[in-house]
Amino acid sequence: MTNKKSFTLNKYFSLTKGSIMESLSFRFSMLITVIGNLIYLIVIYYLWKAIYASSSSEVVNGMTFHDTMIYLVLALALFNFMECFIVWSIGRNFQTGQIALELIKPMDYQVFCFFANSGQYLISFFTTFLPTLIIVYLITKGGFALSINLIYFILSVILAIVINFCVDFFVGVICFYTESVWGVNIMKEVVVALLSGASIPLAFFPDRLRTIVNFLPFQAIYNSPLKILIDKSLETKDYITIIGFQIFWVAIMILISRIFWNVSKRIITVNGG
Amino acid sequence: MDSIIKIDHITKEFKTLNRRVGLKGSFLDLFSRDYKVLKAVNDISMEIKQGEIVGYLGPNGAGKSTTIKMMTGVLEPTCGEILVNGRVPYKNRAKNSENIGVVFGQRSQLWWALPAIESFRILKEIYRIDDKTYKDNLEYFDALVGASDLYYKTVRQMSLGQRTLCDILASFLHNPSVVFLDEPTIGLDVSMKGKIRELIKVLNHERGTTVILTTHDMGDVDALCNRIVIIDKGTILYDNHIENLRKYFGAYRTIRFMFNKHGASKENETVENTMMEIDTLLKEEFSGAKSLSVGMDEKWIDVLLNEDEVPMMKIINCIQERKKIVDMTLQEISTESVIKKIYEGGLE
Repeated sequence: MTNKKSFTLNKYFSLTKGSIMESLSFRFSMLITVIGNLIYLIVIYYLWKAIYASSSSEVVNGMTFHDTMIYLVLALALFNFMECFIVWSIGRNFQTGQIALELIKPMDYQVFCFFANSGQYLISFFTTFLPTLIIVYLITKGGFALSINLIYFILSVILAIVINFCVDFFVGVICFYTESVWGVNIMKEVVVALLSGASIPLAFFPDRLRTIVNFLPFQAIYNSPLKILIDKSLETKDYITIIGFQIFWVAIMILISRIFWNVSKRIITVNGG
Repeated sequence: MDSIIKIDHITKEFKTLNRRVGLKGSFLDLFSRDYKVLKAVNDISMEIKQGEIVGYLGPNGAGKSTTIKMMTGVLEPTCGEILVNGRVPYKNRAKNSENIGVVFGQRSQLWWALPAIESFRILKEIYRIDDKTYKDNLEYFDALVGASDLYYKTVRQMSLGQRTLCDILASFLHNPSVVFLDEPTIGLDVSMKGKIRELIKVLNHERGTTVILTTHDMGDVDALCNRIVIIDKGTILYDNHIENLRKYFGAYRTIRFMFNKHGASKENETVENTMMEIDTLLKEEFSGAKSLSVGMDEKWIDVLLNEDEVPMMKIINCIQERKKIVDMTLQEISTESVIKKIYEGGLE
């Protein structure tokens, strides 16, 4: 029984292993990502500096410039870490018909997609997220708490990855209808980056918008783990609430994306893609 | 022997938008509901037995790939039933896929950026191939086609032929009972084609793997297939042994004539004119012979005829009376011309 189980898991981990090796073989793309991030950081540094300079007080919406920068740098690191190209890969495989080869694997397509991209998560965790986290911690001399919250943070990130994956998978399947990828993907990126708090901290949102955003799954992707990591005032109860909320969204998003996939795969099986 | 694939009156329809012409038409299309139904496969039936190699032939767009996709479970037939290994493929896609191997000639299931062996390792886990079978298979493949050098080459850096070879090996890795090869030899050079044919032949012979092969290369057909199925415009035109087909067209002959050896620069023009001349001549003389046709191949002029309609000697006489024949050969009809004849509607 146990043997059989490990057999099944191997099936998925072999994909993880493959995708790790695949991302490692693109050494330069990693370098480019690092350079791109530096440029982005410089831009947001001056942008927010200007925003704070034009404000009369040191604290805007409960956050100092210092807080905001920590938040945004870590948000960027998290974004790079969770960024996967599932919309692209699904969309392109649909257009080229390559998807047929993936459908005839003895494996659920959605699970296949997840694991075939999972190596990227692991790689970028070690190459971008972890170094950034350490650098920020050293520079700010303990700008965020490093204690029990790390365990919650890791849990929260894993849940966030699943939610993010489901959003991407859902949007990827939309490409079956639009028959193009670019526009759909750009829209997704803008919506997710804004509504998840990845590009602007949610504290800066107008009240009404923030209420709406709180009821959407996106903020469970970036805002939740970042809050757990940065906010020192949280208690165990808060952590559990945040994570409970994420688990709720994981369940909903898996359900929605699976239903959508099952409905949409008929486009391939019925109309040949 | 039991049949491994049963296709029972399947039809596949595709709905496509009727596109209009021009910029204005493109805008109008955005709101169009004007669909036309295209029957890619129209009421076909066949049974394939364990261990057969079936050549599935037809011109481009005949419905070959559609049928293959239905057999693999990617496409769902509009009506009719398919059973592969006793299962309905599109309903039990995952289960079905454990027992089939598929190669789509112009695509690759190998991981692009990794050496082929890594893809094999992943497939080993996905198909749950045990260590021994996996190892044995790799050694066996190496013994057959000397593939071990390729195992460690990055797929991206492989030539088309090497990649196709690896893709075919990948499709046989889990010892499937049926393998679908959709144009496996497309774009390959002669030696690689030979290698791949040999591989398929041996695997079919020694493993008893059923192979369904679509191709446009008659060399593949002659080398591999005992049985051929010809499909055009979604319907099956022919389904039988390849010998029967040759017998059916046994009365067909091609006579090649050469009228002047030299002619230098003006030669082409002359040959063409001669061809036309002979064409009109024969059409007049033997108006009853429908299958009579005249073609041209460099200096040669080919006359294809059916001896049941008109005796060969009559034609030779008729031509000889008017032209001086320098050289002449008689050719058996090749599979290629038989199939061409069928595509052009020669079987009606």
